[in-house]
Amino acid sequence: MFACIYIPDFPVEAIARGEAFLRERAVAILDGKPPLTRVMALNEKARVLGMELGMTKLEAAVFADTEPTRGDDESSSEEHSARFDLAVLRQRSTERETSAHAALLDVAHAFTPRVEDTAPDTLLLDLTGLDRLYGTPGKMAGDLMSRITAVGMEANIAFAANPDAAMHTARGFNGTTIIPAGQEQKRLGVLPIQALLDTFEIAAQKKAAGKASERRSQQLHEQMLDTLERWGVRDFRTLALLPDHALASRLGEAGVQLRRLARGEGNRTLVLSAPPSRFEEAMELECAVETIESLSFMLNRLLEQLCTRLEARALAAHELHLRLQLEPRVADEETATEQQLVRSSVPSLNTTVQKVEARASSAAEAQAFRPAKHVTINGDSCPGREIKPIFERALCLPVSMCDSKVFLKLLQLELTAHPPGAPVTKIWITAEPAPPRSAQRGLFLPITPEAERLEITLARINAVVGERRAGIARLLDSHQQERFRMDRFAPAVSNPQKHDSPTSWDVNSSLPLALRIWRPARRLQVSLSDGQPNAVLLETRQPEQILLQGKILWSAGPWRSSGDWWTENAKQNGDRTATEQSGPWDREECDIAVACAGKNNTRGECSNVALYRIYRDLATGDWFVDASYD
Amino acid sequence: MSSVAVTPSTVSLPRCAQDLRAHIESSLGEHLSSTLRLQERAAPTTVPTGIAAIDALTQGLPRAALTEIAGPTSSGRTGVMLSALAAATRRQEVCALVDASDSFDPCSAAVAGIDLERLLWVRCNQAACATKRTRAKYQNSAFAFAGVLEQVLKVTDLLLQSGGFGMVVLDMGDIPAESVRRIPLTSWYRFRRAVEPTATVLLLIEQEPSAKTCASLVLQLQPEALCASNPSVERPFSTQQELQFSSPATKSAPALGSKNRLTYLQQGNVGRAVRSENYPPPHAMPLRGMRFRAEVVRSWANRKPPQSAGANFELRTAL
Repeated sequence: MFACIYIPDFPVEAIARGEAFLRERAVAILDGKPPLTRVMALNEKARVLGMELGMTKLEAAVFADTEPTRGDDESSSEEHSARFDLAVLRQRSTERETSAHAALLDVAHAFTPRVEDTAPDTLLLDLTGLDRLYGTPGKMAGDLMSRITAVGMEANIAFAANPDAAMHTARGFNGTTIIPAGQEQKRLGVLPIQALLDTFEIAAQKKAAGKASERRSQQLHEQMLDTLERWGVRDFRTLALLPDHALASRLGEAGVQLRRLARGEGNRTLVLSAPPSRFEEAMELECAVETIESLSFMLNRLLEQLCTRLEARALAAHELHLRLQLEPRVADEETATEQQLVRSSVPSLNTTVQKVEARASSAAEAQAFRPAKHVTINGDSCPGREIKPIFERALCLPVSMCDSKVFLKLLQLELTAHPPGAPVTKIWITAEPAPPRSAQRGLFLPITPEAERLEITLARINAVVGERRAGIARLLDSHQQERFRMDRFAPAVSNPQKHDSPTSWDVNSSLPLALRIWRPARRLQVSLSDGQPNAVLLETRQPEQILLQGKILWSAGPWRSSGDWWTENAKQNGDRTATEQSGPWDREECDIAVACAGKNNTRGECSNVALYRIYRDLATGDWFVDASYD
Repeated sequence: MSSVAVTPSTVSLPRCAQDLRAHIESSLGEHLSSTLRLQERAAPTTVPTGIAAIDALTQGLPRAALTEIAGPTSSGRTGVMLSALAAATRRQEVCALVDASDSFDPCSAAVAGIDLERLLWVRCNQAACATKRTRAKYQNSAFAFAGVLEQVLKVTDLLLQSGGFGMVVLDMGDIPAESVRRIPLTSWYRFRRAVEPTATVLLLIEQEPSAKTCASLVLQLQPEALCASNPSVERPFSTQQELQFSSPATKSAPALGSKNRLTYLQQGNVGRAVRSENYPPPHAMPLRGMRFRAEVVRSWANRKPPQSAGANFELRTAL
């Protein structure tokens, strides 16, 4: 048993897939460079209006609505109905067709691994042995149709005993058609001969390589159609009744092949295709979008399509890449002109120039907080070519997920934090596929935040407190104070084997005294007596208003510590390593107890003793306070 | 939070009132009878702080409730906080620390036993929340922390709404009490309501209690004494206003004997140091720890605790 999925008016479907309201309208797709722009595809409603394939743009404009089309039509009802009768003209979008074809392949490969990618609008599926999994052909057809509808397309589906019969049926009959074995000739008989020649041409074009071969096969197709029309052969049944030998003597091997196909007797092995490994959705906007709110609607559509594709393949995404093509600005043009001048002596084919790149401070940080803003300028050194700056953002997710709403919220927060800075004309979203997250939860495990909600929460927190100020503190192997790195927060999965709930009685009694770090360290005036600190006073009164002044009641120290002395030499040698961020340090630390005024709730006003860590920078001789014991 | 309906027999009412209620209940029907019954909160589940003395005093930190730990600088607030966080991460709970003054020390946390992989540290940013002009204008006033406090409240809201955290700590220990008092009570009430249906411990570290009745447990900490290397000579300075330290043999200094003893006398608010004739090298007497006193100001378990209810505990330096 073979099945064929055929998408009628595929270029129209590819456009309507992202704009559902177009299904209610007559749509014609234009292709070609002006002034040779012609209608290359149209839907049934456009045909009813009187539009035809091959019309010029001017001819098509007679039937068309010249005002920009919106999904949420705000015009009055009369105007709405008047506009509703007109066709919508759209430029052909190869990106959308590629995305639609990839979505179709995803659906087919999710159904069966044996798929032939016959044409952008036609797929053949080998369903041998799948009846035990999916049930009867009727159930299979319903399942397949619902999956195709989920990815936003309308298809013809046909089931037959051989792939060619299935393909002819799908291309000839609307909806779902199931032909029982042995009845192919009877059911196919009513189809016009044009359908047979179309499929024959597809097969010939697949075999042929190059434009010359394509043109030859097209000529053959026209000759054959002409001959058959002169004979009065207009449908499959008439062709099937012609004698085999006579047809072979007049049309050659092609004639015999055509007759066999018309009888529904074709039998061949499918040329299997691999499932698409790239998950990308793109949308070209008619009018540039300036606000993030408006952009969110487009992003939502693309993300929904992307998630549907991922779900169809039982996958999730662990990384999202957003690319926005921006409207060219004067500054970009000037920059590009300068670059062209610089590059004019060095001709290059690929002239993608990276203009701005915010680099992470270290490799580890770059891994944790992935990119960073890229604005690239696409275009060649031809002076007449329009410059198209590209804005890129990447979202690295801690766990693989497949929720379009979560993705949309994350992208919105990302774009709010890093706005593109110019109107957007084109959008690409690419997902890096990953196996879906599998977590076996236990009844007795402690609760943990949901990964999706946590990711949104973290993005929102970053918007409040700033980038890289929320996460995990990871200690570094150094004796220097403040040697830690902020990493992305991704809590580890609870391990039931490690789960223990200590009570206060089994905890070790020697609990540590904690430090509260003063960031940054405050400068101190320290009076010395016998070389030891005797009294302290904060030099500048900070808004924190922590009063640190008075006689030192007790002190311990000093303890000397130093390190990273080698980084100075490394810098001189030009060895730029990660340690260049921190310079050498050499200091003497003391712990001091200072009396400070306080209030005791139970005993009224009293004096408290506060413990601080102060240090003297041996390079400058200045005193600082950098922590308090608490 | 689940509630327990108290049966009529457990509530002592006058005879005529009981008759009246029975009459009204029978006339209104079963579906309205619950409105006339006294609702009482179930006792919250508690989690240990990891400090035996405090756990014995407070029965632990209540889940689904707001707990305040107040005290001045060097009163052990951070030690208790780290201990509670360490206990929570040992239970494999995910915790969050909203650090208003960016004073969290990851090294201390690691020594305390906190699994840093399970702790979300949110460092509020004074610089990001106000322009230079605004900061200069309000530099020396209680409004200077308005931006930071706004960040703290926003982040806490987000964390509580996100859910799934075993413990959320708001560390405002370095924010002046005057500024913290400016937080409207409705914010604390909102937090209390947000945390009620969850199993989260909401812990607030500050200088003075500010959440009023929204807090289920309020703990006041005070420093009692510095612990020197020889415990026999330690005295609580807050009561006797005297500090004594000795310097026995440590790994960093040789033994100096009883002659090498320092005595610091504290007079009023300003300390005065009196040194013995044999001045020892100061690093010979490193700080061993501090002793603190905890008092329960308010508790869910006992609505009006006696003022004397308290406990002493000690935190030691990690030598």
